[in-house]
Amino acid sequence: MITVLQRTPSPCSWAVGPPRLLAGLDTATRLDWRAHLAVHGPVPGTDPDHLLAAVAAGRLTGRGGAGFPLAAKLRALPETPRAVVVNGVEGEPGSDKDRTLLRRSPHLVLDGALAVGAPVTVAVRDEQTADTVRQAIAERPDGRRARVAVLVAGLVGGEARALVRALRGGPPRPPSRRTPPAATGSLVSNAETFAQLAVLLRLGPHRYAETGTATEPGTTLLTIGGAVARPGVMEIPIGTPLGIVLATAGAPEHPQAIVLGGFHGAWLPPAPTIRLSREGAAAAGGTLGAGVLLVLDENTCALGELASAAAWLAGESAQQCGPCRFGLPALADDVAALVAGRSGGADALEHARSVTGRGACAHPDGTARFVASGVRLLRDEISRHRAGGCGRPVLNQAGTP
Amino acid sequence: MTPHTDRNRPGAEAPARLAVDWTRCDGHGLCAALLPDRIVRDEWGYPDLRDPDVGPDARRAVRTAVAACPALALRLETSVTTARSST
Repeated sequence: MITVLQRTPSPCSWAVGPPRLLAGLDTATRLDWRAHLAVHGPVPGTDPDHLLAAVAAGRLTGRGGAGFPLAAKLRALPETPRAVVVNGVEGEPGSDKDRTLLRRSPHLVLDGALAVGAPVTVAVRDEQTADTVRQAIAERPDGRRARVAVLVAGLVGGEARALVRALRGGPPRPPSRRTPPAATGSLVSNAETFAQLAVLLRLGPHRYAETGTATEPGTTLLTIGGAVARPGVMEIPIGTPLGIVLATAGAPEHPQAIVLGGFHGAWLPPAPTIRLSREGAAAAGGTLGAGVLLVLDENTCALGELASAAAWLAGESAQQCGPCRFGLPALADDVAALVAGRSGGADALEHARSVTGRGACAHPDGTARFVASGVRLLRDEISRHRAGGCGRPVLNQAGTP
Repeated sequence: MTPHTDRNRPGAEAPARLAVDWTRCDGHGLCAALLPDRIVRDEWGYPDLRDPDVGPDARRAVRTAVAACPALALRLETSVTTARSST
């Protein structure tokens, strides 16, 4: 099953096979409470033991990028969790799946979040998403336990601990202590994770695992952008080969490159056999991240695309940690030197190595992975630039803001 | 002597790791001067840990460096506190 929500001309969605998270969105713009119940069925009752058992058996992992097992987060919570935070900030530039869910199927996300049994805060970045979630909260009989918070947060501000800090009135930056939010009684997870939880509770772990892979059951949402005829949000069984997804999205027959996992992900050759699962992405040398898939065709200067994105990532540093504050601009300069034909890539790889693991959050690590994978993949491009350039414009197919 | 000794004192055999609180570190460089075989400074002066695992023999020297850090950024960690989350 593949479901795709197209971004243009009007936002719509589609799925490979029967959709789960995107169910009902082929005909409806937004599922209100009544439509939600008609499409998904009644909200299943649950208790903490049942919830944990279902999440563990369903092997549900966080869909914000890190892929942390939700069961481990639940086990780390106190008996009476203090708060549930739905992370809908979605700071990754190419990602649209969480906004799409919250705007068009908000009750599915709320079902999952409210099932945990603590007051729910849905954190979003824009008023349009906030409005539709507020409307959904007003429609629900159990809506008194949920509220919406609108945060001004960049890429780093969407990191779980930075989010909790911002919700408590602090700066939207990761704290120095590497204390997970669960230790303070809060469950923080991505909007899609809670929608997946709602689906899992309705289906039960056995039926939930009827699609996906043995180790990663179920479906996942992707956001596909770049040089494709049908960009948008797509729901796929975990493990679907890249080739099927590219064909469904209307990618060119021979893309120049793909970026899997967004701007904290990796540049990869567009091998159609890459399995779109966490394991499959890792085997290909990348990461699924939050499910962003960018396609670059032969018309754009890939090295220039890499340089624009690296410069943007350097600017997203929270400026708290020296290696990130100074290392990421140096890394961006290294890539600019590649575009100018003044370098062979060794400087960039060394700076990428140097910043890895040297910050309060994973922003330097993700940026280093993104740049280093690009430098390795684009060796031929680097040679062309040293020999005078590739002669192509930078079309910003990667979607750097 | 130092206020950090008790807090950082591990069980006798507990594995310990040197860690930097990067939000505090200003790159003063005392740690690299005191532990030249473990810590080198990068081009901006920030410590680059080459050997973060601290065995029992090295505890004393490492604690001295931890206590000397003017930004209180250098730490000797004895429990699994390095997990990161990013949702």
